Amino acid sequence: MADVIALFLDTLSFTLTLLLVTLGLVVIFGMMNVINMAHGEFFLLGAYVVVVVTGAGGSFWLALVLAPLVLAFIGFALEWLVIRHIYHRFIDTILATWGISIALKQAITIMFGPGLQSVPNPLPGTIDLAGIEYPLYRLFIMAMGLLLAAGTYLVFFRTPIGLTARGVIANRAMSASLGINTRRLDWATFAFGAALAGFAGAVMAPIMSVDPQMGVGFLVPSFLAVLVGGVNSLVGALLGSALIGGTSTGLSAYLSQADTQILVFLLAMMVIRFFPNGLTGGKR
Amino acid sequence: MWFAHGRLLTVLAWVALFILPLVLSDWNAALFAQYVTYGIFALSLALIWGGAGILSFGQAIFFGLGACSMALVTLGKLPLLGDSAWVGLLLALIIPTLAAAVLGWILFQGRALAGAQLGIVTLCAAFVAEIAARRWDFVGGFNGLFGIPPMTGLDGDILSGFATSYVVLGAALLSYLIALAVLRSPLGTVLAAIRNNESRTAHFGYDVRLYKIFVFALSGALAGLAGALFALQFGFVSPTLIGFGLSTEALIWVAVGGRGVLMAAFLGALIVRSSESVLSSALDQYWLLALGIVFVATVVFAPQGLLGNVLRLPSPRRFATPKKLEEKSRSVGQVEPDAK
Repeated sequence: MADVIALFLDTLSFTLTLLLVTLGLVVIFGMMNVINMAHGEFFLLGAYVVVVVTGAGGSFWLALVLAPLVLAFIGFALEWLVIRHIYHRFIDTILATWGISIALKQAITIMFGPGLQSVPNPLPGTIDLAGIEYPLYRLFIMAMGLLLAAGTYLVFFRTPIGLTARGVIANRAMSASLGINTRRLDWATFAFGAALAGFAGAVMAPIMSVDPQMGVGFLVPSFLAVLVGGVNSLVGALLGSALIGGTSTGLSAYLSQADTQILVFLLAMMVIRFFPNGLTGGKR
Repeated sequence: MWFAHGRLLTVLAWVALFILPLVLSDWNAALFAQYVTYGIFALSLALIWGGAGILSFGQAIFFGLGACSMALVTLGKLPLLGDSAWVGLLLALIIPTLAAAVLGWILFQGRALAGAQLGIVTLCAAFVAEIAARRWDFVGGFNGLFGIPPMTGLDGDILSGFATSYVVLGAALLSYLIALAVLRSPLGTVLAAIRNNESRTAHFGYDVRLYKIFVFALSGALAGLAGALFALQFGFVSPTLIGFGLSTEALIWVAVGGRGVLMAAFLGALIVRSSESVLSSALDQYWLLALGIVFVATVVFAPQGLLGNVLRLPSPRRFATPKKLEEKSRSVGQVEPDAK
């Protein structure tokens, strides 16, 4: 029984973590049709903001607030410098963001070195959940994943800004001719997506080994989650994260980590093959 | 008019490449041969990307398979096939071609994957291939395969760097001519049509899937050839060859050189690799940062690459307007193939 609960908790934790990382991707892709290959590095930068702030003696919670702000600014700058020139060239957005990711990763390696940085756990200790000692901080991450997903949902479906954004997603030209400033919405979306990634990175920093390669490990699973679930909806992101997270934790109970990764990737590729629009996308 | 010079400059570039080993030291000639090997790999990517608009993040799978095939044969791990480098070369062409055909079939059958989906799925395929290669001891596992015998001449002596560079240059010229012949044939015109508008081409009655699988398999063969030459020159094959890192590196070479023009992509690999060896000691860690920024800038501001417009060849003669019609068409407007 305890094993089952442990497995369930692990699955839930991985799912919500993945959701946390995926949210920013979905927002940027759904809104701007830009595949952001630099998402993993935005995540990484969020973690390094925590390293810098805690290293300078600041509190972890301050870093958690600062990270999304810093990333929002970086996202804004990159949108203005690079992305806005290539909106109409879809393939080039993949390449340009990939180049950005190389440059950012190398910039971090230059500034902080290739080695591991450690961040103290702000919420040490465990909590007793139905007979299982579960780390408190993992619960905090799960709560943050849920909270942010709910928050993004509310922003998109319950606020005037969200209404405008959904209008632009549905028909960009029409929204523009109705007087919506789509340019402003674009950079705001990119900055928001970057901020979400930065927050995810900051939240995850204490339980991960923070090094310059950390972003790549999350990039592929979160892309798969987005594509499996369906690119244009938040529900799809949730579903995709749950499927990837669930199969990963489920399989890793029986297989080695490498074999799990191979199997999950292959399964996800098959799903994308047969449902190019994702499971929530329906038939085109 | 840059266009008019494209043919001349391409020929001049090849002549220069063939003269270059004469003035290089033996060590540098060997180094040059390595860059040319990467150039063949870039050609294979430019063939599918520039030719048919297939952006693959997993091209190194075929490079790695070619390298592995060559290594396995020459190390005598496949006793049935003997240990001749020629058999290795044959296997390095066959296996990547088959693998590419199968992967192409999976990717392009039915409602084909394109754009983001294609990119991510090929990226995943590269990851899977790399992890699998690490886990499979037959192909060397984590450490890779060592001690691959170098290229030998017909008399059995090991080739000097100078001779190696000519062998590799010959292979590169052959690959270039094959790829060029395909792209400039009517087949290549269909591929260009697929690149510009896939559903329109399908509606004209072309079996788009077969064309794409064919060009994918051919590019797999070229990548396999590059891999085989790599294995012979470096003497080892590691799992990283098959993965995502090398695949994306090749994308950078091709994008910086020029994705639409084969020669530009080929020279792109040579330029990026050689400036890396010159600059990486001077710039140290800043090299990769600079490369990333140059890459982004090229993609954004020069989508045709640094050399694409310079080396663009004139359209095949088939497209030339017959003399009698030329007067008329001048008033209607010139035929502009590939306007995109």
